[in-house]
Amino acid sequence: MGDTLIIIVVIGLSAVLMFIFPLMTMSDRTDDVSQLTVNTATTEFVDSVITTGKLTLDKYSKFVENISSTGNAYDVEMELKVLDENPGKKTTQSVDKRIGENVYYSKYTSQILDELDKTPIMLLKEGDVFIASAKNKTPTMSQQLKNFFYSVIGNDTYTIAAEHAGIVSVTGSNYD
Amino acid sequence: MRIQNLAVIFIIIILPISLVLSSYTQNQVKTLSLQISYDNKLNNATYDALKAFKLNTLNSSTSNMANSKLKDIEASINTFFNSIASNFNMAGYDKDVLKHYVPALVYTMYDGYYIYSPYKNTLTDSEKAKSETLPDGENLYGLKPYIYYSCRYKGSSNSKDYDVVITYALDNYITVQGIIDGTAVYKYGYLLDNIGGDYTNNGNSGKDITYRGIEIKEETLQEYIDKDNKLTYVRINGTKYYTEDNGNTWYYYLNGDKMQQVGAKYKTINEEGKQYYKEAYDFTQWIKDNLIDLKASNAVDEKGETLKDVDEQGKNKFGTYKIFDFGGKDSQEGSIEDADSNFNQHRLAVIRYSIEKNLSVAIANYNRYTTTISANFQMPKLEEDEWTKIINNVSIISFLQGLNIGGKVYNGYSIITNTENEEVVRDDAIYLADLDDYGNYYRVTDSTLNNNTDYIGVLNLDFERRVKLNDDGSESYFFPKKQLGSYTSIVNNFVSEEAQDFYKYIDGKGENIAKAYYTALGRERYGMYRINNLQINEINKND
Repeated sequence: MGDTLIIIVVIGLSAVLMFIFPLMTMSDRTDDVSQLTVNTATTEFVDSVITTGKLTLDKYSKFVENISSTGNAYDVEMELKVLDENPGKKTTQSVDKRIGENVYYSKYTSQILDELDKTPIMLLKEGDVFIASAKNKTPTMSQQLKNFFYSVIGNDTYTIAAEHAGIVSVTGSNYD
Repeated sequence: MRIQNLAVIFIIIILPISLVLSSYTQNQVKTLSLQISYDNKLNNATYDALKAFKLNTLNSSTSNMANSKLKDIEASINTFFNSIASNFNMAGYDKDVLKHYVPALVYTMYDGYYIYSPYKNTLTDSEKAKSETLPDGENLYGLKPYIYYSCRYKGSSNSKDYDVVITYALDNYITVQGIIDGTAVYKYGYLLDNIGGDYTNNGNSGKDITYRGIEIKEETLQEYIDKDNKLTYVRINGTKYYTEDNGNTWYYYLNGDKMQQVGAKYKTINEEGKQYYKEAYDFTQWIKDNLIDLKASNAVDEKGETLKDVDEQGKNKFGTYKIFDFGGKDSQEGSIEDADSNFNQHRLAVIRYSIEKNLSVAIANYNRYTTTISANFQMPKLEEDEWTKIINNVSIISFLQGLNIGGKVYNGYSIITNTENEEVVRDDAIYLADLDDYGNYYRVTDSTLNNNTDYIGVLNLDFERRVKLNDDGSESYFFPKKQLGSYTSIVNNFVSEEAQDFYKYIDGKGENIAKAYYTALGRERYGMYRINNLQINEINKND
């Protein structure tokens, strides 16, 4: 009787150790690698936009393609804070010493994609701020396993997320 | 073997593997994120350097002169090192330490570039000035002499033998120096097709000079010199001269000080736009008469051997095509100013070849100067699109190599370009402004521009804020032009598909818009500072 119980426990333990533990470790590592890939891709995407002053459909598609190569589906969000210097100009006309109060207004993902649909190149100007973020929208294998075993992670939360932002350093031009 | 034993053996095997794998992945993650953060820091520092250069040149009225420009660049280099040191402060590197990891900084300018890298002080004790304290043979960091985007050609054209050096620039301005048919030549100017009108002996059309069929006319220019005063001005050789009394007396600002122009008078009616096209026509004719058969394959190196540089596909960039592929007087297709003309392709190939060659030498030489760092400094391979950025704009290229980032050695570079500066007047640097001070200014590609409205072409820099030194020593800000940026093309920039072909698009916008644009483009390019421009004053002087 005692032996049988031990065997059952050992079989259970072995199953956990031989299959589930490696599976969970592997899927955790996969998430780490995905996180790294998404991080790098997001940084590269934002950097290439801010150093050229150009956001193109091509760059965006390449970015989405890069992060999708991790096998997950992602929610990509972009925000462009457009610098409006006009209010600052009006101010300096009346007050000598003020440097100028600039206003930013934002364009969000859907607006940016709409614009990119119309023309494949969107030109930004020096001083604009560009932000991009990516979060996984389908649960990763590691999330699914954790959900199954611990039921601690809700279905809606994400485990892979990256965000990068920067100030555009050059006014974009169509002709180079 | 009992199943328990198997389980134990399994754990013994898997556990270390999994631990090693996990720590390896963590290390990789750390290395990569460190690399990304270093890239970011380098980008920021380079941007700060460029911004400093732009602000310094914009607010200095002598920034065009070579020694003043050198000071501006040195200030910008200081900004770079200060900025990178503050960025790396947390990582424990300071300015002096970081200097050893920067093998080169490159400043690409209008017709050449500067490389900042170490060199050996070769002055001996007997040669150097008494006040000089630097010891002989010491390694110093500094700017190396300006290198022009130039190329030497040898061959014959129109049955004339030539051995000339052509210096290119970021636009289609070239300088030809050398010997043609036994005579020494030194010619310079813009290459332009599509110039017509009476000046070109092309009949009696009543139009003095035309560009792409649009007549170029004189204009009167006015701008604010402080918050309230708007004066008539002319821009000659990079300096703006103002008049308050309808052209009787003229003055200019020398770094904030008002300087009277003694013995010189200028016309209040500005003819520089016309003059630009006239001189471009004359120079283009001269090229047609003397160097029309010049081929890229005639390019030789300093030893006189044929130049070879292959592209990604293994094709020689200096092939047997004619460099000056003029399209003709009235042909609007295939003209030399098109981005895809042979001339432009060759110009870019020369600029790239020159930078690549000198920069790789500078970085490779750095190994000889550095004793503290064991890394092998090498020039990284730049991407095609990065080269496009460099050779079309004023830019700074910075390199940071040899820092340890965990698993590997950091080897990064950053290229930051600038489209708004006093060095070059690019095609898209001319904005159109409403004549009313409280109107708007637009890019030429703005879809809301109306051909029935009058506009004036303005250089983009004139909309930038300036600093004025007041009599009491305080400073105030003002804008030379008060118009506000259009929301369709300046604040936002909605570009239509057709605007990709710039010149064709402008021609299609209507005569008024095209005239304002072409006149301003000519005027601003003609008014730029150039060392050769000495005769220009005579043109605008009243007889």
